[in-house]
Amino acid sequence: MASLIAGTTLAGCSENKAGNNTPSGSDTASESAAVYPMKTDSTLTYWGALPNNLTGVKSAHAEVPFYQEWQKRTGVTVDFTAPPANQVDESFNVMLASGELPDMLEYNFFNFPGGPEKAIKDGYIMELNDLIDKYAPNYKKYLHEHPEVEKMVKTDKGSYYSFPFIRGDESLLTFQGPVIRKDWLDELGLPVPETIDEWTTTLKAFKEKKGAAAPISFVAKPRVFNELGNGAFIGAFGVTRDFYLEDGKVIFGPAEPGYKDFLSLFRGWYADGLLDKDVATVDSKVMDANITSGQTGATWANAGGGIGKWQPILKGADPQASIVAAPYPVLEKGITPKFGQRDYAFSTGGMVAISATSKNAELAVKLLDYGYSEEGNKLFNFGTEGVSYTMEDGYPKFTDLLMSNPDKLAPAQAMSLYIRGNTMGPFVSDKRVSEQYLNLPEQQAAIPIWQKTDMAKYQIPLLTPTPEESAEYANIMADVNTLVDEMTLKIILGTEPLEAYDKYLEKLNSVKLPRAIEIKQAALERYLKR
Amino acid sequence: MSKLAPMTGVQTSVNNSFKRRFIRDFKLNRLLYIMMIPVILYYAVFHYAPMYGAIIAFKDFSPMKGIMGSDWVGFQHFRDFFSSYYFWRILGNTVLISVYSILFMFPAPILLALLINEVRNQSFKRIVQTFSYMPYFISLVVICGMITDFTNSNGVINTLFSWLGYDGTAMLQKPGLFRPVYILSEIWQKIGWESIIYIAALAGIDQEQYEAARIDGASRLKQMLHITLPGILPTITIMFILRMGNMLNVGFEKIILLYNPVTYETADVISSFVYRKGLLEFGWSYSSAVGLFNSVVNLILLISANYISRRVNKTSLW
Repeated sequence: MASLIAGTTLAGCSENKAGNNTPSGSDTASESAAVYPMKTDSTLTYWGALPNNLTGVKSAHAEVPFYQEWQKRTGVTVDFTAPPANQVDESFNVMLASGELPDMLEYNFFNFPGGPEKAIKDGYIMELNDLIDKYAPNYKKYLHEHPEVEKMVKTDKGSYYSFPFIRGDESLLTFQGPVIRKDWLDELGLPVPETIDEWTTTLKAFKEKKGAAAPISFVAKPRVFNELGNGAFIGAFGVTRDFYLEDGKVIFGPAEPGYKDFLSLFRGWYADGLLDKDVATVDSKVMDANITSGQTGATWANAGGGIGKWQPILKGADPQASIVAAPYPVLEKGITPKFGQRDYAFSTGGMVAISATSKNAELAVKLLDYGYSEEGNKLFNFGTEGVSYTMEDGYPKFTDLLMSNPDKLAPAQAMSLYIRGNTMGPFVSDKRVSEQYLNLPEQQAAIPIWQKTDMAKYQIPLLTPTPEESAEYANIMADVNTLVDEMTLKIILGTEPLEAYDKYLEKLNSVKLPRAIEIKQAALERYLKR
Repeated sequence: MSKLAPMTGVQTSVNNSFKRRFIRDFKLNRLLYIMMIPVILYYAVFHYAPMYGAIIAFKDFSPMKGIMGSDWVGFQHFRDFFSSYYFWRILGNTVLISVYSILFMFPAPILLALLINEVRNQSFKRIVQTFSYMPYFISLVVICGMITDFTNSNGVINTLFSWLGYDGTAMLQKPGLFRPVYILSEIWQKIGWESIIYIAALAGIDQEQYEAARIDGASRLKQMLHITLPGILPTITIMFILRMGNMLNVGFEKIILLYNPVTYETADVISSFVYRKGLLEFGWSYSSAVGLFNSVVNLILLISANYISRRVNKTSLW
């Protein structure tokens, strides 16, 4: 099925550097990168959402200094269209249905229904193998030096389909985990909890001695226990709420015995009033209110959007207050957590693909390749020297324009005006951005704590289904996820007895879970053959 | 038209007589026919022309291939839908929510209109009307946010009920309470707005009938039963028939804003289920298939309601 595409593939052609043929009409097509700024009269069209941070600050790419600079440096005029914030999928859907596509599309094609291979097959986007080979020396060089990334960014068939966002350092892969009120712990003379039993003790103390109405809580939107998907708390019982890998086999956590133990724990927490009573309806606004008002003392959050958001507010009300990272809970002290949040180096957001109907594909590829050059990497991560950063002892330090903006913009907002480094885009991210972006001591300390897991061992790689299987898989998973969410909540809230879990296991079979696992497993085998 | 029918007993062919009648009628009422043209055009362009797009329900639609170029898959999407594990549950929920809403939601604005009609104080009447249709103009997202907040464990409504012995769990986490919350909030939001048409119908009742009834010694209640109600019965009937044609159209917006996995068993309806599926894939064809199924069922219900109504009380849409 997955036959290799004839023609040049990038992988493993290390010996003979492809500098072979120059199609007529192209100026520089060889090992040497395009000379920036390029000389061209063509205008390229680009569709992509503006970073959420810019909502209410700027409404169009053309007004954002970063994009002006990007055009200036590359010499290409780009005509941008941005979908309304929070309607990216709907707008994209409408645009596809219209059949009128711009040259470049910033959209997560990895999650495209049917996968990237289907997006190519259906004639939405271009397969980029030849173009990258000829016109994207910088990106090609990066992939050549990072074979593990190279494996991720193509399909089973070996098609390249985008200029992806790549997390350039191991420390950037982890940014979420359990958090807890450190000042409460100190006041109660408790350590940061490590085991499930310690968590239970701690939450009881929060309830009884700190008057927290909902000692621990989780956001239920877009999906209930959304954040436990990658194994916080559930992982202590050796499973996740999703697929994971064990001894080369694809496993679906909720169908494993460990999941019942997790249900039993949370059921107990709920009955004792330790788990938020409204856990099925909590959204992020309610969560903000509960954390900042001291109703909730522990949850699961981002270093940036969680700790970074709550810490200043809490400190403003009480100088002693602090919310810190807790390790992923385990059953017995001293063992390494099996699971935790860990993104892939190839983060599927922020990628830019080239539409199949584009007349300027070659120029678009050259433009996008700039992001992977040394100079482009600086621009995307740090912006313009002297404006958004200055070099201090070889370290690109963000200026006050970003960190304490004269127009009273929050750092995240000011950054999105001058750099792309704090959001995803077609470049390789530099850890020196997040070092400065996550500058609270609590944030600095969080990442190493959350990184201490064995997730890398159990993580399923970025699999792509075949176009034929993907509709079937999506159909099955819609039913499976409905069932899992329903069973999880009903048992935890006590609407059904714990024994009902066994009945659910049978139902999981009748919604064809085994078939979904089969599809995943086959995709895994194909991945390993890439 | 009928008054212009030829009075001859000569049997010409139907076709011919129709044509002749039409031409004669057209000459007589030329202006009326011209006035009809924009209406016919509107329906042709905006309602009938797009219908051919419904054929994507039988295809595997891909925009790049266009409607005509996409591959036929026959009844595949219908099969997928009917054989879905949750099909019976979502169908049942859809019908139940619809039935409850007809039982409780449909009479509410009629009652309100009758009550407002009995009020003699003009300014009080106006205040009541304004207040009752105010919620209709609040965005649904805001309304649902309010409902969620009020019914949460520490919300206003929940607290009130807790004094009456309710156990204090967030109401939207109880499958048994989803429909009551849904229907009651629906009534609160729409009662004022939907009563307007009945109030308008009430204004059209001949006042002399009331005078005659008063002379005969009818009480206010008797007047309401024997004059007011029969007076707006045609309006009620028409509204009811129209309502029947929306039996399977339980709007997903409000459902998805209020439901959660605990209440799926009572809250998950066809449209919300399709919405969830649609999040996973751009299921244009699948959604069209479900939409077509809904339309067919709704059409059957509408025709039946109309037929029964015509038989029973001589009022009908056609």
